Amino acid sequence: MKLLIIEDEPALRKGMADYLSSQQYLCEVAGDYDTALEKIDLYSYDCIVLDLMLPGGNGLDLLKTLKRANKLDGVIIISARNELEDKIAGLQLGADDYLTKPFHLSELSVRISAIIRRRSLQGSNTLVFEELTLDTIAKTVSVHDAPVLLTRKEYELLMYFIVNKNRVVSKNAIAGHLWGDDMDVADNYDFIYAHIKNLRKKLVQAGAGDYLQSIYGMGYKLTAK
Amino acid sequence: MKLFAQYNRLNILATISIFVVGSCTFYILLRYILVKEMDNSLRSEQQEITQYVYEHHALPEINNTREQRNIYFKNTNKKEGFATLNYDGEDDAYREITFNLTVGGNPYVVVVSKPMDGIELLQHFILLVTIAMIGLILLTALLINRRILNGLWRPFYQTVSQIKSYNLSTPDIIELPATDIAEFTLLNNSLNVMMGKVQHDYEALKKFTGHAAHEMQTPLAIIRTRLDILMQRETVLQEYGQDIADIEQAVQRLSRLNHSLLLLTKVENKQFALNEDVRIDEVINDKCIEFAEILQERDIILSVSVTPFSVRFHRQLAEILIGNLLNNAMRYNFVGGSIDIQLAGGVMSIANTSLLPALQHERVFQRFYRHNDSIVEGNGLGLSIVKQICDFASFTAAYTHTDRTHIFNINFNTPPIVL
Repeated sequence: MKLLIIEDEPALRKGMADYLSSQQYLCEVAGDYDTALEKIDLYSYDCIVLDLMLPGGNGLDLLKTLKRANKLDGVIIISARNELEDKIAGLQLGADDYLTKPFHLSELSVRISAIIRRRSLQGSNTLVFEELTLDTIAKTVSVHDAPVLLTRKEYELLMYFIVNKNRVVSKNAIAGHLWGDDMDVADNYDFIYAHIKNLRKKLVQAGAGDYLQSIYGMGYKLTAK
Repeated sequence: MKLFAQYNRLNILATISIFVVGSCTFYILLRYILVKEMDNSLRSEQQEITQYVYEHHALPEINNTREQRNIYFKNTNKKEGFATLNYDGEDDAYREITFNLTVGGNPYVVVVSKPMDGIELLQHFILLVTIAMIGLILLTALLINRRILNGLWRPFYQTVSQIKSYNLSTPDIIELPATDIAEFTLLNNSLNVMMGKVQHDYEALKKFTGHAAHEMQTPLAIIRTRLDILMQRETVLQEYGQDIADIEQAVQRLSRLNHSLLLLTKVENKQFALNEDVRIDEVINDKCIEFAEILQERDIILSVSVTPFSVRFHRQLAEILIGNLLNNAMRYNFVGGSIDIQLAGGVMSIANTSLLPALQHERVFQRFYRHNDSIVEGNGLGLSIVKQICDFASFTAAYTHTDRTHIFNINFNTPPIVL
């Protein structure tokens, strides 16, 4: 899987590239408009991470170029501007998703994986982790081919962990993913713990291994034993 | 009172006073001259009579006419001089001269009098002219007034009505035209310059908001990204786990605070268009479903009773408004407490139990206001965002407290716009 990260801020660019590379993505980076344009012209990517404000031009113009050339690359816009107009303009121009800075890398990863799944021609609508299989269209989970009944939030939670497997995912990132960034009740009570506990119980009861571990009270990690 | 009416009133008063004073002076002067003239003629009568007596040693025969009347009577030394008087039974005044004469050794007093017809006529004439002139002044003023209000002041009223319809947040800029009148052109030009500057500043402010977002969000994004990377290192976590967790938490708060401040500024700058019909009852139900798990987790009993209600609003703002209120109702609640949401006739009330005593009514919607006893901290902006959204959409927000229950009321019925 090949990604292009277009972002002018070096630290942010490197952070995204590091995190996504460790998830078996092949990452290329571009720090300005012209470099990005060149790369888009020459190669094709499974997903492009696109910042809107770039030295040398506007990210939306890159998006237009991409669509004019009938390229099939998926695009996720990352912008510091949480403006509805930008979002609408971006999505109308054919972007697949829009993420406002500051975001969690785990969230970016989940969004990218969703875009790639949606766009993949092979129709790989399943996520597999050990004996767990997720059907991302039906939004169902099975363990050893036997279905497990999860609530929607538990399903989302499991998918989040599987996409970010072997990575520590912070509780804030989980809360942001499940309830949106504006939800701040989640900070004050450790009720995410309850969700994790329920999910873990259901999976173990269905015969799956216990792959979730708590990390120093700050988050959780899904690892194969 | 209109400026011109005020000016006009002063002007007419002054003109009339000057005119009256002028007329009086004119009358007095004329009268003085005419009386002098009459006195001269009486004096020459006196000389004629004296001459006659000197030549004939007798008084001239009395031949009284309307023009002149002579009276002689024997007497000694009556006071000589002029006098003005009215004879009984006659309208006209007379001017008379009295002098002493000795005729044939006998002392006589002679009185010669003439009517003052001319002077009376003059008096009437001046009075008539004065009244006519005052009438003319008033009539002219009235005509000028009408013409000025209809014509000359029109650019002024046009300017005023254009300014009234001026709205900073709409992009169309008013260009006030030049007029024939220097003052109005000056006014319009000054207003054009002022509006241009205001518009410019407003644009700059809006840009500043966007830029501030970019400038703060990017460093925050970097911190968060690097933290996410750091978190993946087992050795770092072993040594600095708690530190990283604390930093993570602080970044979370900071980015949420930044987000809230930007939202507040955007609402303040009216950067949302109120052009959607939003079903408030649906938004309430959606939010309740969203928060269901948290409510369940905290054993908070939620009761919702809503009737369909739709209002011209902005969907995102409606979600933020109701989300923030619900958020507060949960945050300051206690385990096993309750939340009661009602919507009827366009009035929403959200009541929640809480251990906190009554909040200060005048400060509850202020930025960064928190009750001293509150342990769980929000960012202190939730309710001021609620208030700001209500102000922007002309809704009213109110807070009441009864018996350990905090109640927030939002009236979605927009009051009629008073122009």
